[in-house]
Amino acid sequence: MRNPYLPLPMKLVKNFTETSDKLIHTFTFEFLNEQDAENFQYRPGQFAEVMVYGKGEAPFGIASSPTEKGILKFSVAKVGVVSTALHMLEEGTIVGVRGPLGNSYPLEQLKGKSLTIIGGGFAFTTLRSTIQYILDPANRGDYGDLTVIYGARNPGLLLYKDELAAWDARSDINLITTIDREVEGWTGRVGFIPTVTKEVAPKSDYAIICGPPVMIKFTLPVLVECGFTPDRIIMSLENRMKCGIGMCGRCNVGSKYVCKDGPVFTKEQLDRLPNEY
Amino acid sequence: MNTTEKIRETAKKLLADKKVDLVVGFAQGSLPLRSTPYFARTPEEAENLIWSATCENNLANFLRKRPEKTAVIAKGCDVRAIVGLIKEGQINKDNLTIIGVPCEGMVDRKQICELVGGKDILEVTDTGAELILKGKDFEQTVAKADVMFGSCKTCRYNTPVLFDELIGEAVPAREADYGDIEAFEALSAEERNAYIAQEMQKCIRCYACRQACPMCYCSECFVDCGSPAWIGKSAKSVDDNALFQAVRVFHLAGRCVDCGACERACPMGIKLSLLNRKMVKDVKELFGAEAGVSLEDPPALNTFKFEDKEDFLL
Amino acid sequence: MIINKNEIPSLLDKLAAEYRVMAPVKKNGLVEFAAIKSGEEACLTYANTKKPGKEILFPQSEELFNYTVDAEGVRMQDNVDPTSTIVFGMRPCDAKSLVLLDNVFKNDQYEDVYYLTRRNNTLIVGLGCNEPAATCFCSSMACGPFSKEGSDIFLTDIGEAYVVEGISEKGKELLAKLGLAEAGAEARAAAAKLQQEVKADGTINIEGLSDKLGGMFEHPFWDRLHEKCLGCAACTYLCPTCHCFDIADEAKDCNGCRVRNWDACMFPLFTLHGSGHNPRPNGKARWRQRLMHKFNYFVERYNATACVGCGRCIKNCPVNLDIRQALADIRALD
Repeated sequence: MRNPYLPLPMKLVKNFTETSDKLIHTFTFEFLNEQDAENFQYRPGQFAEVMVYGKGEAPFGIASSPTEKGILKFSVAKVGVVSTALHMLEEGTIVGVRGPLGNSYPLEQLKGKSLTIIGGGFAFTTLRSTIQYILDPANRGDYGDLTVIYGARNPGLLLYKDELAAWDARSDINLITTIDREVEGWTGRVGFIPTVTKEVAPKSDYAIICGPPVMIKFTLPVLVECGFTPDRIIMSLENRMKCGIGMCGRCNVGSKYVCKDGPVFTKEQLDRLPNEY
Repeated sequence: MNTTEKIRETAKKLLADKKVDLVVGFAQGSLPLRSTPYFARTPEEAENLIWSATCENNLANFLRKRPEKTAVIAKGCDVRAIVGLIKEGQINKDNLTIIGVPCEGMVDRKQICELVGGKDILEVTDTGAELILKGKDFEQTVAKADVMFGSCKTCRYNTPVLFDELIGEAVPAREADYGDIEAFEALSAEERNAYIAQEMQKCIRCYACRQACPMCYCSECFVDCGSPAWIGKSAKSVDDNALFQAVRVFHLAGRCVDCGACERACPMGIKLSLLNRKMVKDVKELFGAEAGVSLEDPPALNTFKFEDKEDFLL
Repeated sequence: MIINKNEIPSLLDKLAAEYRVMAPVKKNGLVEFAAIKSGEEACLTYANTKKPGKEILFPQSEELFNYTVDAEGVRMQDNVDPTSTIVFGMRPCDAKSLVLLDNVFKNDQYEDVYYLTRRNNTLIVGLGCNEPAATCFCSSMACGPFSKEGSDIFLTDIGEAYVVEGISEKGKELLAKLGLAEAGAEARAAAAKLQQEVKADGTINIEGLSDKLGGMFEHPFWDRLHEKCLGCAACTYLCPTCHCFDIADEAKDCNGCRVRNWDACMFPLFTLHGSGHNPRPNGKARWRQRLMHKFNYFVERYNATACVGCGRCIKNCPVNLDIRQALADIRALD
């Protein structure tokens, strides 16, 4: 019997301050054992429990893409015991990682389809994984047009700034970045995600949307207006989780466990569940 | 009219006249020796209110930060807690009507259950001074005075100290008696430790004691705080269980009204009153203060008096 | 087969020489399952244990693994417990609860090694209830005072002796080794009579309940059900089927252990997000969750009701919030 509670040892190779407010760091971990790296087969949208020895573990969406071999990346906001401890870790520290956990974005099913990906704030992590995955030369041909709308309160709070610049320079992705209020030197759009989405009026086969509840709440009607049916709007939930394997009951919403049956659901699926997320 | 009938009349009138939106009292419970907190919002619902020797919960617990105009059927200890909560800004007196009920003491179903050897009691008749207990193949009569909660036996404030209306006659106050605490104090430190450890071993950390306590209302209890984690969360650590109770008791110093709600709520039968009553006794001896007996008394631990004992200071 | 009551202590002694034997014992005024050294310790004349039988396989607090981190790296010590155990004298409600919990601790993707290792190495000797308590309603919950589901061996108390039945293969194998006498026709008849006639409260009708609840999430019924609830975890912790848990580290510096503790949906912290958002922010939402989980969500997921009618939540609720009443009220709704 494999013990799903035991973490794999990984080494922190980079602790990078991602945002100007210093509250979000991106951590890059390397597997210590080659075998673990091979076994850890994940898909964009999955998450893992990251453990700081002596402090505990917490679930984070995997920000790296399976196409980036040998490493895992997580972008973590400093909110709790584990995330605070993570932020203070020195490069070279050994941590534990348990996963991959949860379902994923249905990238198999999305093959041959055009996609709009919408993200807000720091809920852009598994979206980064998805975009990197699709943009990989081995995969790009499998998918149609890719539109990405990504917003943050101000430019300093956008994650993955270098990559955003690189994506912007490509012709096979339509990237729209936005910030809440005008700032000198900003060349992207200004306005909240729902407004910008309305302006862009994306026409794709599917939409994937991640962000704070208020953003989701106001963007969903816009997507419906744009013609996305509930089965073509894909979301990822962020319920509190502990075990990550559908047992501890914490993330229970209706008859589903967000950690195991999710965290990715279509709007159609969520409409049938109690609104407890 | 008996007390139950008077309570119903009063509640019905308050609700019918729209003086209040809600009456919090007790209804008949689903088991013998049990009553249950009840929320009456219409004169018809007020017909379900009752009064008996089993109205053991402290209803002050349901009165904090209530938005609607509320009346409460309150016995002596409920009112002491209400007084405390008014002083702590948790209850708006203008929104509350206290229907005081002088209390003869509530009976302890756990003691009674033990008395009949844990057998199922199916029917109980209250004759005033006695309870007739009937089970499948037994009938036993017990004097209510013998099976009363410890805190009721020595309650000096069994007639509410504050009320808008009093149902029935005031009852004579009982003698304060800390004999139980004195006996415990007389034990050696090892014996006291051993006893507390034995009791705390039973704890399952369900926090029924805290939740039942009208004065325990911190929005985040220190036990639940994750950062810093002041205390281990495992119930198997007897020391942590004891630490939880010790901090709870200290936090209630000068605020505990000795209602015994914590001990009554404990599903594991832990003798929690021992710790609380020790603190109540100490506060009384050291500062001459009792919680919840008047709206004017300043909080014992927030006041300095010249004659306060200072021998614990370095 | 049959065994005289006066032979039970020596039987338990014999078993205890080879297995860890857990039996109900009286301790500090409570009846608890505990590992016994001598057969004399067992107390089989109990109504039910204070804490439910689930704690044998799923203890309230459990150190999953220990770890140390030093210059040489990380070392982990996994605390899977494979001790061969016999639970002697478990009531049918608790035995059935283990069958329900099996659904939880083994799903299509993951196996909880701690629970399952204990489960696979534990044999349950069930004990029928000749006198169900007034709070028992197992007969309403697809269980009953003589339900054998979850028991490997089953005992029926016929006065001076227990009639012993092997239920599972595992149970029959053990019985074959014990060499008990065959029960006579009279004893078998006495046991059969008890098994047929003794019933706990069977008046709570849960037929169609799950479907009804499925359409009741927004019903005003929930507005008042929770009103008197204090928000403690007496009902959930003492429930044999409630299985929610928390995972935490207890550590000094980098060395420590991963602990799992029972947790409860009745606590606001249970669902509180890091952001401060709480999807179940009040007593109403939490009580709805508790009831829905048992009688709808669990049914949808595992095709069984997560209640065995042991009555512990009724006995132990500080405010007498009686689940039977709640179920009856739901049934009475249009």
